Amino acid sequence: MSPAPKPLEPLIMHPRPSSIVAALYTLRDLDVDVVILHGPAGCSFKHARLLEEDGLRVVTTALDESGFVFGGHDELVNILNKVIEMFDPESIGIVGTCASMIIGEELHEAVLEVNPDVPVIEVEVHAGYRENTKGVIIALESALAAGILSEEEFERQKVLLNEATEVEKRHGAASKEYLEPSRGDTKYTVAKRIIQLLKEGKKCINILNAKKETGYMFADINAAVNQVAKDLGSDSVIVNMANLDENLGLDRVRAHARNIARDLKGMGVEVHEIIGGLDEYPVTGETVSKLIAEKYPGFDFAVITGVPHAIPMDNLEGMEVISVTNGPRQVLPLKEMGHDHVMVEIDLHPKTLGVSNIVESEFGATLRELAREEMQ
Amino acid sequence: MKQIAIYGKGGIGKSSTASNVAAACADEGYSVTIIGCDPKSDSSITLLGGHRIPTVMELMQQRVEITEKDVVFEGYKGIKCVEVGGPEPGIGCAGRGIIVAIKMLQKISTVMQDCDLIIYDVPGDIVCGGFAAPIRKGLVNDTYVLTSGEYMPLYAANNICKGFARLGNQLNGVICNSRNAENEEAIVSAFARELGSELLAFIPKDPLVQTCERAGFSVIEKEPDSGIAKVYRKLARTIIERDSACDPKPLTDARLRELTG
Ligand SMILES: Nc1ncnc2c1ncn2[C@@H]1O[C@H](COP(=O)(O)OP(=O)(O)OP(=O)(O)O)[C@@H](O)[C@H]1O
Ligand SMILES: [Mg+2]
Repeated sequence: MSPAPKPLEPLIMHPRPSSIVAALYTLRDLDVDVVILHGPAGCSFKHARLLEEDGLRVVTTALDESGFVFGGHDELVNILNKVIEMFDPESIGIVGTCASMIIGEELHEAVLEVNPDVPVIEVEVHAGYRENTKGVIIALESALAAGILSEEEFERQKVLLNEATEVEKRHGAASKEYLEPSRGDTKYTVAKRIIQLLKEGKKCINILNAKKETGYMFADINAAVNQVAKDLGSDSVIVNMANLDENLGLDRVRAHARNIARDLKGMGVEVHEIIGGLDEYPVTGETVSKLIAEKYPGFDFAVITGVPHAIPMDNLEGMEVISVTNGPRQVLPLKEMGHDHVMVEIDLHPKTLGVSNIVESEFGATLRELAREEMQ
Repeated sequence: MKQIAIYGKGGIGKSSTASNVAAACADEGYSVTIIGCDPKSDSSITLLGGHRIPTVMELMQQRVEITEKDVVFEGYKGIKCVEVGGPEPGIGCAGRGIIVAIKMLQKISTVMQDCDLIIYDVPGDIVCGGFAAPIRKGLVNDTYVLTSGEYMPLYAANNICKGFARLGNQLNGVICNSRNAENEEAIVSAFARELGSELLAFIPKDPLVQTCERAGFSVIEKEPDSGIAKVYRKLARTIIERDSACDPKPLTDARLRELTG
């Protein structure tokens, strides 16, 4: 009579991204003006602060012990009224927290009471989901309900999010019970290695497979490889692939793709293959594999930035693989996949918020400096 | 479709009343669903010949893939029975359990839409946000208060009406489950009137309720010809037909004492 148990997924011990934060980032991508976090003042503070740098206003209902006990309806109504009065927003998000969701707060009751004449996206989310993409999906569902997202884009996003979850399970932060954070290989050593390969005229596949705004910094690394090759007078063939399709995804994400493509062009870098949009990092792997197999066989080494673990190893076999991630917990899985050199751009994400130009990466800077020394 | 909930002091007889009303409606040919929102999961047991069914929360705790057939069971005359379940007394958060289970049910099943009468059986007082989830999520449109003519049950019923006022919920009527208090029918009748509502049924205290319960049945199923079965049938018809409600005006405590004094 009882249903068959699902195979238990391993317990994962290391801390991972929060669904509440994922919902906040999603509302930012939807160009929502103000978000109210309904819960304790400190919840998601660090990310809320970062998002403010990116133009999203975040406020909190600051629930305290008495709010937990007596409910936070009045506080939410109050803040909602204040937000409308102070900021005159064109759209408002309300995001739940663990505390408010456990005590059964109904975000909708406050919205009904205030009855604002701009769309309100109510996101009933807490941080207790196994996959943080759940926060994105709930936020998108609410955006769909509020009429600020098309059904078509919603379906497209859902497919991408499921793939992103799969990628994390296969080779990412959800692949092991415990992953030790690591800084990876030193940038100095790997930069030296790349310079040597370029001097030997080795053929390079240079891939940018970035998640949204992180592309502003990862692209700098791909650009540096091209610039350094040119400065060194290298004979290396370099094929640049990038997920910079300007016609896919939410408006904000398309704008990032346009900005990065424009800057790359300005830096003299030609992108030979567009492998998808900036939100398609979990599904570009197949495209890349096929391109390598059909158009670019026999290359010597690959540089992969962004979400390197989404690129399958099949057709990278035999190449020297150099990858750059921004997750200290991504180092081990990448090494296990067979990457020869793995580096971490520490604190990359914060530096890519609130920008619309490519920003300098530590590894890009290291490469350029070593190349300069080399030429003296 | 009627979506109802019966509220009242703990132990006053909400679950017995709910299951007997459900059985009486099923006898009349209505399709009925009962959702037990009590962590002790005792709402549907007398509709299932005394059997316990797996609860939504216990399956979620086992992390199994849940489908409709795992949690929706047919009882007396095809009544669809669901038990939310929840933690043992003193641990965890039963209120959250109701929120989670209802969300899950909405996703995997149509029992909350495809029927003539759906009864949410909620325990005791509405002690936290979760216990009001069926109301607050708009799943309940008719609410009833069950009380005896004694001071404490009336006090609880009155308090619950204060909650309704707060939730913007209306009251469809008061039901008296007798505990053989003196002057009981008149007291509860006056209470109902002063709330702005009316007394819809006076259910006598009858040992049959407990004998049938012990055997695992409703009175309707096991003693269909008894007097109390008739009372439940009449109440069931009233609930199905009733379409008036009021914004209850809670009484003062002094007035409650006076009524029962
Ligand atoms: N009219 C009645 N005559 C005799 N016994 C009754 C009557 N109504 C209910 N009972 C008995 O009272 C006890 C409590 O009833 P029940 O479990 O229905 O209360 P409840 O309000 O659902 O309680 P809880 O708040 O714990 O959910 C049961 O043993 C039941 O059989
Ligand atoms: Mg009960």
